[in-house]
Parts: sequence; structure tokens; C-alpha cells
Amino acid sequence: MVKDFELKINGKVYKTRAYEDEPLLWVIRERLRLAGTKFGCGMGVCGACTVLLGKEAVRSCLLPVKDAVGKDITTIEGIPAEHPLKRAWVELQVPQCGYCQPGQIMEAYALLLENPRPTKEQIIQRLSSHLCRCGTYNRIVKAVESASKGGRT
Amino acid sequence: MTTRRELLGLGGLTLAVMLMPEGYRILKAQELPKRYAPNLWINLSRDNYLTVFVNKSEMGQGVYTGLAMLVAEELDFPWERVRVMPAPAGRAYVDPKMGIQLTGGSTSVRNMYETLRLAGASMREMLISSASKSLGVPREQIRAKDGQIWAGDKSYPYTQFAELAMREPLPSKPRLKEPKEFIYIGKSVPRIDIPEKVEGKAVFGIDTFEENMLYAVVERPPYFGAKPLRVDGDQAKRTPEVVDVFPLSSGGVAVCANSLWACQKARQSLKVEWSESFVKGWEDKDFEKYFLQKLRDKGHVEKVKGSPQRAFESSPIKVEETYIQPYLYHATLEPMACLAWVKRDECIVYAPTQSQTWVLETAKRISGLPESKIRVITTYLGGGFGRKANVEFVAEALEISKRTSRPVKLIYTREDDIRSGYFRPYSATHLKASADRQGNITSLSFKIAVQPLLGGRASVEGVENTPYDIPNLYVERVDVELPVSVWFWRSVGSTHNAFSLETFIDRIAYETRQDPAELRLKLLRNNPVAYRVVQTAMEKAGWGKKKNMGIAYHYSFGSHACHVAEVSLEKNRIRVHRVVAVLDVGPVVAHPDLIRSQVEGAIMMGLSMALKEAVSFKNGGVANTNFNTYELLRMEEAPQVEVYILTSRRPMGGVGEPGLPPTAPAVANALLWGYGIKVNRLPITLI
Repeated sequence: MVKDFELKINGKVYKTRAYEDEPLLWVIRERLRLAGTKFGCGMGVCGACTVLLGKEAVRSCLLPVKDAVGKDITTIEGIPAEHPLKRAWVELQVPQCGYCQPGQIMEAYALLLENPRPTKEQIIQRLSSHLCRCGTYNRIVKAVESASKGGRT
Repeated sequence: MTTRRELLGLGGLTLAVMLMPEGYRILKAQELPKRYAPNLWINLSRDNYLTVFVNKSEMGQGVYTGLAMLVAEELDFPWERVRVMPAPAGRAYVDPKMGIQLTGGSTSVRNMYETLRLAGASMREMLISSASKSLGVPREQIRAKDGQIWAGDKSYPYTQFAELAMREPLPSKPRLKEPKEFIYIGKSVPRIDIPEKVEGKAVFGIDTFEENMLYAVVERPPYFGAKPLRVDGDQAKRTPEVVDVFPLSSGGVAVCANSLWACQKARQSLKVEWSESFVKGWEDKDFEKYFLQKLRDKGHVEKVKGSPQRAFESSPIKVEETYIQPYLYHATLEPMACLAWVKRDECIVYAPTQSQTWVLETAKRISGLPESKIRVITTYLGGGFGRKANVEFVAEALEISKRTSRPVKLIYTREDDIRSGYFRPYSATHLKASADRQGNITSLSFKIAVQPLLGGRASVEGVENTPYDIPNLYVERVDVELPVSVWFWRSVGSTHNAFSLETFIDRIAYETRQDPAELRLKLLRNNPVAYRVVQTAMEKAGWGKKKNMGIAYHYSFGSHACHVAEVSLEKNRIRVHRVVAVLDVGPVVAHPDLIRSQVEGAIMMGLSMALKEAVSFKNGGVANTNFNTYELLRMEEAPQVEVYILTSRRPMGGVGEPGLPPTAPAVANALLWGYGIKVNRLPITLI
């Protein structure tokens, strides 16, 4: 059924119509046009659609919109440009095509909330659930390491 | 920003770069012949920004940065005030060496290097001339540096003289900087597209919107070569928000709705009856059988050097092998997506395309409108790798928009994207070689059965033109025809040919008990550039110090590449620890970090191809459904990568593709020497 929903994204309240079982991803991207969150696979295996629900990284392509109601949703647009992660991503020139990077940054953001000083192994273990076809993996690891050290490389 | 009037109205100093039959010509914007549109626009604005309208697609290779940097270098302009806009599509935006507007073949910087520098240098000299006149200071006493005109100890921003400079004649021979004067070339300026990509603001094809926009998904045949015979969309049409369901000329069935989710839901109740096809019922083993059978057919002989057959028969050592390599999927993380709007008197296309010319031609054909009424807006590409030079998804979006009279965003789901085809071709290759008792290769014969690209040229690339000095060489291709669509995949024919040829070279070394790196040096002794590339890779990798190393060399897209891979088997799993890559790109390293990142990426893609990737078939259709069944290399599998860039006096080579071909054979060769595993098919599987 198509119904009215109210969502709190990056501290702002949005109203939209959507199917109850519609993935949060499509609501964020296509109905609300916050297009920084990307579609990659639709089954939670590539990580491009990662957003935060509270402090937890979730795959928005698998989450029905009704389950996100009342939660604090954070997307790539909600992370300030001067955040150490975003600065490290620019500093180390991580992205190539850039399409998977919002998802990578959101996962890294959630990781640092849980564990502000992850080891290299912990970073790799966590971010291995994200695909990057351009092959920027090694730069991503370095960027997360750099950001977790407060920007000191 | 597409019309000439808009570009002329920018103010400041505007130059245009136009393709003429004799090559590129730089013109002042107001001197453009009326009927022509230039290939590139360069504008120094009133607010002192330099904007370059680039005719290439940014798909991660950094082309916006690479090209704008060349103009900024000669103009001597601060990098933080440089912007890039995609140039609109038009007949006049073609790449002169390719004849169409296309980003591919690792050609972007190669083909534009000199012209863009000349354009920047012309602007600088015009600014100096106009400053000299308005300040009453002789030309020789004026310097232009970092966006400022200096006369004595006083400085003025360039833009102050920009409009006056438009009245200056174009210099016939602007002075180009000496390498020691470079401020950007050879350094690594920050990429211009990265901040917006990190902020989530970069607009890809899938991120475009129009008011009152319709969504569409396309149901595709379950096997290649089929068309819909009967479509029952009644139930699908009853889904809320669904607008229409109809078959397309491409052979798919479009489901259109006011939301994407409604399209996906409705599609589940769609009933389609499909026609028969030649490959219906085919499984992987049927493809293998078919290609091996084709490999026995007589094909086109591409090259005969010396007397390969006689040399083979009379030599004491003989080696033979047959290789099988699968269809490969591009797996761009952004799937095919396009927003098209065919109106009565105008047509707008937003596309993540590598080929604006083909998009334009398609839009003309489907809309029936002349070129002047069509606007093609190139978005960022969420990966290209060749796939987005094909325009079938653009054609579908246009057709749906024309039929529904609404702006339409077509999105391939991942499942659609995998099933849509345009794969790196499948191939069966037979190699045979002979050697004398000293281990000198006396003959090499290469025969491949593959679906041809570029009229068959791609089938043999990297072999027919190998720099290896082999006295008797034979190259033959058999063209295979099948309804499975094939297309350019990063590095094209060199992906499969480097794998078969380079693993085969190691097999010869193995059979003749020679060091494989030394054998390559011997084969390249008359090619000093290639020789040095191999030698450097050996040195940097510490060749000979460890047992589990493999080496491979390949020449493609004008560059020489040699990789050394360090590989081990852990619990029957292949683990690639380190890859050392050496690339010779010709006379200049325009942007070292762009080259490094391209090679790093090419290695990851090459490893993914070596260890994981294959399009698999069931009942004539693609059996892989998503990234769970078409797996890509993940971070935990990424090796340490070291990239070394060499230069040499010769024409400029490409960068986006040459780093890929040596990767897979280097890994396979490490398995041969370290573990005695003879690999003759990809992906590598240990049984």
C-alpha cells in the first residue's frame, strides 16, 4: 500500500508517500532526492547504499521504510565536509569514479563511532563488505587509518 | 551550458579549440565560423575563474583534472580557481584521432596534450599584450604568473585584462614552457572531481531528475537472442502508481510507473512469452564445446613471419596449450541508467556515457529531431570500463519517453545489468611454440576463436604486435558469431591475449628450465624501452629472492607494463600478497598520482578477473544474478601494490588500460613456479 511517511534525515523532517515495504534507499534517493546514497545491488552485498540508523550502519536497500520511521537517519550529506574522514578521503585522493565512496565513508563513520582507534585488520574486516570496482581499497584503508589518528598521517 | 550564445555570453576571455581537417585550431570565440561548434571552450571569466569545457567523460580516470591541468599550466593559473564543465555533444566535439566523441582506448591526454597547452599559452600571451598596452609598459617587462600580471612591483589579476585581450590577435606560435618551468605537469595537483564525490554531491546518471518524471525498468529475455512474442501486462498495470507496460524494439518489455519501487513490484506479475533462440538451453560446457570446435575451423591469418610450421617441426623442444577464458561482466557500481525526455520540439538526454556521439545519433534517430534540438548532458560515470560506450540503455529510455510523452528515468537493477550482456568476449586460444636446446624460442603460433570486436583487430591485439623478438611467428583468428552480445571491457583484447601469451611464455621457460624473467629479457633485447621495464620490475620486486613470484609483461595502448606478483596458497586458497608494477608511458609523466591510481585500480580489476570472475550460463541466459553470484575482489583480498613509472623518448602512451593485462598472468605464473600448478583457464580454480 502507498502511505504517508515522516522521516528524520540529517536532523531534518521529511514527508513523503511510499509503499510500506519500499526500501528506505528508494525513498531517500528517488522520492526525497537525497541522491548521495547510492544503489548498487539491492540485496545488501555491495554496501553502496549504507546509511546510519542511530549509530548503526545499515544497508538501506534492504530496510523497509516503515522500519526507519522515528529513527535518526544519517546520510553522506549529513557528514560535514570538514569531518576527518571526508578530509582524509580528499587528502589521500581516494575516489576514482566515486560511486561507492559515500557507502564506504558511512561504514567507516559507523566504525569510528564504535571504535575510534581501529587496527588495520579491523578496518579491512569491516570494509570488506563494500565493493569498489575501481580498486581504491588500499587508499580507503589508509584514509580510515589517517582519520582515526585525528588526521595525522 | 550548451549553446554557442551562452558560451559567448560568458564574458572575459574565451578561446575555442576546433577540429579542422589539418588538425586542431585555436580560435577566438567571436571569430568562429558561424556553422561550426568548437571541440572545447576555455573561458577566463570576469570573476577570475578558468573554466574548461572538456569533451571527455569523467569515469574515475581523472580526465577532467588531466586536461584542465594542461591549460592551467601554460596560462600559469592558480589551481583552486580552475573548474571543469562537460562539453555538450555535437558533431564538432569529436576526438580527431578517433573520428567520434568517445572516451576509450586510453587516449584522452595522449590526443589533447599539445593542443591544450598551446591554448593556455595563447591566452597567456594575449593577456600580456593587452596588459602591455593598457599599462603602457613594454611587453618584455611584463610577467604573467599564478593568475597575476606583474609590471615592475605591481600586480593585477589576469581578469582585469581579459576582455581587452579578446581584441588581441591570436599568437601564431605561442611559447610553451620548458619542463623546468612546469608548475603542474609532473606534479600531482588534487583532482578536481574529488571534493564533490566525497561530499555526496557529484551527479551520476542515476542521480538525475526532472519534474513529473516517470520511472522505467525493462524486463529482458531469459536467454540471449529472444524477443517477446506475447506480453500480458494486465495485472502489472493494476499495481498502484504504474502507468504503462509495453514491449520495446530492443527485445525487452518496459514497465513504467511514478515510482521505481512500483516498477519493480509490478514487474513480478508480468507475463511474457519469449521466442526461441540459437543458444536456448546452453550451459557453460556448451560454450566451451562450441568455441573449441570453432578453434579447429580455418580463420583469418593475421600474421606470418618467417616459416613458423617448418621451424616448429624441426625444433627439438615443443610446447602446446589450449586456453579457455570466460565472458566477463563490467560490473560498474553504477548500473546502466539514463534520463531521457523527448518533447515535440526538443530532446534532452542525461547520460553517464562514454560516447556522446552515439548518444546524439540515437537521440536523432528516435526523436526525429535535428541535432540543433538535442541536448546531451554528460553526467559523472559511476564506472565505465568500456560498457558505457554502448548506448542501448539510452535508446530504451528515449523510446519509453517518446511513447509516454514524459521525462523517463530508466534504471537497470543489478540483475538486469548482469543479464544485459555486452560482455568481454569468451575465447578459446591454442598456442604452440618450439625452442632449440639452448632454450631460444624458434617459433610461436597463436590461434584464437572469439567473437570479433573492431572488425577482428581486438581478437589478436597484443600478440600480432608483440614486441617479443620471435623469428617465426604465426597469428590466426577465427570469428565466432553468437547472440550473446560482446563489447569493449577495460584493455579489450589484451585482457585475454596477455593471459594466454604470458602464461605460455612461462610454460616455455618451465619446459626449457630457464628463468622466466631472463627469457623475457632475451626476447626483448632489441627493444630497450621494454627491456628496461622488465629489468626495473625484477629489481623493484627483488626477483630471484623468493620462490613464489610470477612475472608478466605486456604492451598495450602505447605503454609497456611489467608486473611481478607474490602469491601463496593458504588452506587451498590463492593469496596475492604484493604486486609490483612498472609502466613506461613515453615522454612525460603528466600527473603521477593519476597514473598510480589508474594502475592500482587496473591491478585490482585484473586480480578480480584472475581469481573470481566469470559470466556463467544456464539455459542460454546468464546464471549469475547479482554480486553474490558474480563476485568481485574485496578489500581483504587486495594485495600491497607498488607502482613505478618510467619515461622514454617515444610517442605518449595510455594509462587507463595498460596496467591490467599483466596482472592475471603474473599470478598464474607464480602458481606455476611456486606450486607447479599449470593454469590454462580463468578464473583460476584449484581442484
